[in-house]
Amino acid sequence: MLSIKNLQVNVEDKKILQGLSLDVAAGEVHAIMGPNGSGKSTLSHVLAGRDGYEVIAGDVMFEGEDLLQLTPEERSHKGLFLGMQYPVELPGVNNMTFMREAMNAGRKARGKPELDVIEFMKLVREKARMLELDDKLLKRNVNSGFSGGEKKRNEILQMAMLEPKLAILDETDSGLDIDALRVIADGVNAMRSPERGIILITHYQRLLDYIEPDYVHVLLNGRIVRSGDKTLALELEEKGYGWLEGEAA
Amino acid sequence: MISAQQQRDWLQQLVTAFDYQHAANADWFHASRTSARQAIDSLPGLHRKQEAWRYSRIDQLFEQALHVPKLTTIAEQDIQRYLIQGLDSYRLVMLNGFYQPQLSSNDLPAGVRLAGLQQLLEQGDPILADIFRDMPQHNEHMLTALNTALIHDGTVIYIDRDVQLEKPVEIIYLNTEAGALVQSRNLVALAEHASATLVERFIGEAQPAYFHNNVSDIVLSKSAALKHYRLQQESPQAYHMSSLYLQQQQHSRYDSTCLALGGRWSRADITITLQQEYAECYLNGLYTVGENQLNDFHLDVQHRVPNCTSREQYKGIVYAKGRGVFDGHIIVEEQAQKSDAQLSNDNLLLTRDGEIDTKPQLEIYADDVKCSHGTTVGQLDEQQLFYMRSRGLSEQSAKKMLCLGFASDIIDTISIETLHQYASQTFMATLEQAVAEI
Repeated sequence: MLSIKNLQVNVEDKKILQGLSLDVAAGEVHAIMGPNGSGKSTLSHVLAGRDGYEVIAGDVMFEGEDLLQLTPEERSHKGLFLGMQYPVELPGVNNMTFMREAMNAGRKARGKPELDVIEFMKLVREKARMLELDDKLLKRNVNSGFSGGEKKRNEILQMAMLEPKLAILDETDSGLDIDALRVIADGVNAMRSPERGIILITHYQRLLDYIEPDYVHVLLNGRIVRSGDKTLALELEEKGYGWLEGEAA
Repeated sequence: MISAQQQRDWLQQLVTAFDYQHAANADWFHASRTSARQAIDSLPGLHRKQEAWRYSRIDQLFEQALHVPKLTTIAEQDIQRYLIQGLDSYRLVMLNGFYQPQLSSNDLPAGVRLAGLQQLLEQGDPILADIFRDMPQHNEHMLTALNTALIHDGTVIYIDRDVQLEKPVEIIYLNTEAGALVQSRNLVALAEHASATLVERFIGEAQPAYFHNNVSDIVLSKSAALKHYRLQQESPQAYHMSSLYLQQQQHSRYDSTCLALGGRWSRADITITLQQEYAECYLNGLYTVGENQLNDFHLDVQHRVPNCTSREQYKGIVYAKGRGVFDGHIIVEEQAQKSDAQLSNDNLLLTRDGEIDTKPQLEIYADDVKCSHGTTVGQLDEQQLFYMRSRGLSEQSAKKMLCLGFASDIIDTISIETLHQYASQTFMATLEQAVAEI
């Protein structure tokens, strides 16, 4: 589904990703862990197509297509979703209108009929209930005045609505209390399917107690230095990242 | 640059060419014309040296060959396409500056007078002299003086005391004649405890240039309340000047929302005199300007007595080589203690070539007041755009949505549902064009 080969990326002339390779197949959940500044967010932004990242080498193929040639909206239409670490507020933009327009833009691009207001409302209410997201937040402006936890739940709601093939969740667990974490994890687990790949980017092992990954990768200095199964996360929890520093060089 | 003398000559030529013979008249009416005509010769030119005209470059107007149009009429079926579906109103139609009695509502509730200015003059209606004679002549600058010197037709709206008019009054100004100098003069008076809603729509049909020079007086008596919506959708080649003078008495309340979307050059001057205590005014405005467009809002709010409230919230979107001008002046006089005045002007600049000149001016002579002002000029936020695109919206849709979000709190001050919907759609159509050009 996703195949990253030797990806090297500069941000403002500084090399952040230094030859990163990763393969994600449908049905798999991958966790990418690493300390601050290791390149986790750069990876997620490059995959989603944000400006300001200069790819100097490497390839990223998504469903057999060169991902790096596509605009952010085309990536979304092909089934890529990035749940952001800091979801932005959109003042004056109604949450439901935004979600409906986003969904229908994707459906249109894939040649599917657009959802009418009634069908959409039914669907969004159902998904919001699952995420214990107050109906009132649907009527508010996107993320405006939402608490940290509400913003993250709103991200997962959008993911559930858009039903991506590959979801990248960037630090979705940061700033959440234990109850919110469980709700988010339930939402993500409900999305697990043999057709869908999921990449969890996180600092902490805690999230992985609730969403069990098939693979765990350690990102250090812009490169994956160690891959393993979920026990690697436990090892990191115990030892920190220091013991892997040597492998990054 | 066109000199003040050239401007005067241009104006006088228009004034001289106008034939009053067929117009109904009154002595006091004609006296105003004569003095305005004289005023033109002594008023300063409209150019950069005058602070109030510093940014609203108007030279091109004085290069137009304009004429005062002849009385024309329009058939009932031809007005249909200009109406807003579902908007139930008492209607007044002005065509190229002439009141159209055959298209205007005449089935009115008790205590409501809606009429054309010429119509009332012809009828020798005493109401006109009663309220019009005490009005200022309006020779503030060359263009208001031009309006007064050629004062001819317009609308008169009078709501008697204690009348609560639910259905809005709508004035449609339809301009169809190329090269026309369209003049309109309105008088709106609400007696004590009266309330009403006024919708004004400036619609331009002709592609070639015309100039609509509009002057309105509004008087709100004690405890009167007026909601006022103005939609300026003049032709893309048109010049539009509207000068609104509002006098507010005790406990009166004025709410207004102005949308300025059309015209090549358009300017609205709004002068509000808070004459008696506890008067309140709430002004909201939205403008979009694009290629070859200039829009200017000049506000002048005068707190003359204690305990009055004024709020001004204006927003602008500028694209291509559009120019926006905002000048918000509030004066709080020495005796106007406990005044509450707040002004804001926020602008979105979508292109490098656009320009905004914004100037808030608070002039405060009282010491116990609550006053604030703020202006901003910003761009669309890259992070927001990326966020929206990453969810599948095209760049253009994302931009449109952000612009609409920016403008929505102004549009949402329109409380008539059908008009709100119409204004949103019209604004969105303007945005389509804006986004296509950035």
